[in-house]
Amino acid sequence: MDYTKQIQDIAARLFSEGKIDVFVGYRSTGYDENQVPVIITDAGEVDKLVFNDRSVFNLVNYLKFEQTRNKRVGIVVKGCDSRALNLLLTESQVKRDNLYIIGIACEGVLGEDGRKAQNCLECVMPDAVVYDELLGTPSGKREYVVNADILEIAAKGLTERAAYFEDVFSSCIRCNACRHSCPLCYCAKCCIDQDSSALYNGSNTESSAFHALMTWSLHLAGRCVDCRNCEKACPSHLPLHLLHKQNEMVIYQNFQGHLSGLVPEERGAFYKYSLSDPDDFIM
Amino acid sequence: MDSEVKNKIVSIEKPQLEAPADWQPVIIGILCNWCSYAGSDLTGTSRIQYPPNIRIIRVPCSSRVDPWFLIKSLQTSADGVLVSGCHPGDCHYITGNYFARRRFLVTKKLLNFVGYHEDRIQFSWVSAAEGPKFAKVVEKVTQDIRKLGPLHLNKKENFNR
Repeated sequence: MDYTKQIQDIAARLFSEGKIDVFVGYRSTGYDENQVPVIITDAGEVDKLVFNDRSVFNLVNYLKFEQTRNKRVGIVVKGCDSRALNLLLTESQVKRDNLYIIGIACEGVLGEDGRKAQNCLECVMPDAVVYDELLGTPSGKREYVVNADILEIAAKGLTERAAYFEDVFSSCIRCNACRHSCPLCYCAKCCIDQDSSALYNGSNTESSAFHALMTWSLHLAGRCVDCRNCEKACPSHLPLHLLHKQNEMVIYQNFQGHLSGLVPEERGAFYKYSLSDPDDFIM
Repeated sequence: MDSEVKNKIVSIEKPQLEAPADWQPVIIGILCNWCSYAGSDLTGTSRIQYPPNIRIIRVPCSSRVDPWFLIKSLQTSADGVLVSGCHPGDCHYITGNYFARRRFLVTKKLLNFVGYHEDRIQFSWVSAAEGPKFAKVVEKVTQDIRKLGPLHLNKKENFNR
């Protein structure tokens, strides 16, 4: 999977035709094999752009940046990224007319260990679902599989789970990188920062992290697209996908197989309801 | 080091594991204005006794309840939370409690996943005419949480969730 040449050509064409002001893509770090996002404003810079199986980040996050706000943007999206973009479009956060989307029929990107990433192995929709131009051969929708880590942890007892997550939460340094790297976290003022008490707000205690991470994951429930930008950004390497995958599993199993962002114009799971939703846990 | 100071430090590091004998659970009750809050009012005016451990917060609708409220309650001081709203179909805003129902299920499952006992967070539908039912619900929730014990006693060594 190497679309470097095609993306450079498309970006150069878009700049020369005057269709875009900025282009959001990937560039090589220059010192290793990894890649970082880059925002290009000039046609002369297009030879920086690369795309291969190390293009791991979700570029949709950069649509909330100052450099791209209210501008015509060219952007590269993989399957999961395009689902996030779909949600942003339904939530009126970006204008479709301002975007030129290069969709990728993704074959999976590499994880930190050099093998195919876990979320790519479990991916339900590798092809971009919203695009102006598609690169690669679409392979179609796949069957939903429950994350193996979730099943492993759910099989443990309550006390063991509490101990495990106490470790997770106490390793959090409350840098909020997960929030900043999430394409779907766009509120100007986050509710978890509203508390004026420094003890619960900014401190990196276990209790504060529990509050922040749980609230964050529940506000993303029914919307998270499993791009794992948060996990890549986390300096403490917390297994943040556990919280999101747990929510995704509960939503998939109970709410008519809802998976976020797959259908254009379809909003998150909590924006709709069904009369037959489970009710047996309520007295 | 002065032995008195040392003892003090040790007692800070290793707080008491047992609940004090006079411990009373703190329960946050989040009630919808139109059904459950009126129901709890009826319980009072009918002179039906129910445990005083519940601290009632009135919200306009059960769909006003953000999962954040429940997390915040458990994080700060409460040993348990009860959320109550109108029966399905009875919502003052027609469909509010259907939306709330979805969020409640996901919140409950996630809290259980990270190691909180299911009974820490409970939900009920109580209409404005169900005074006796409200008393029973509070009775049950208080009993459940009393059995589980305090949530904030000692976080490091006692996973008493």
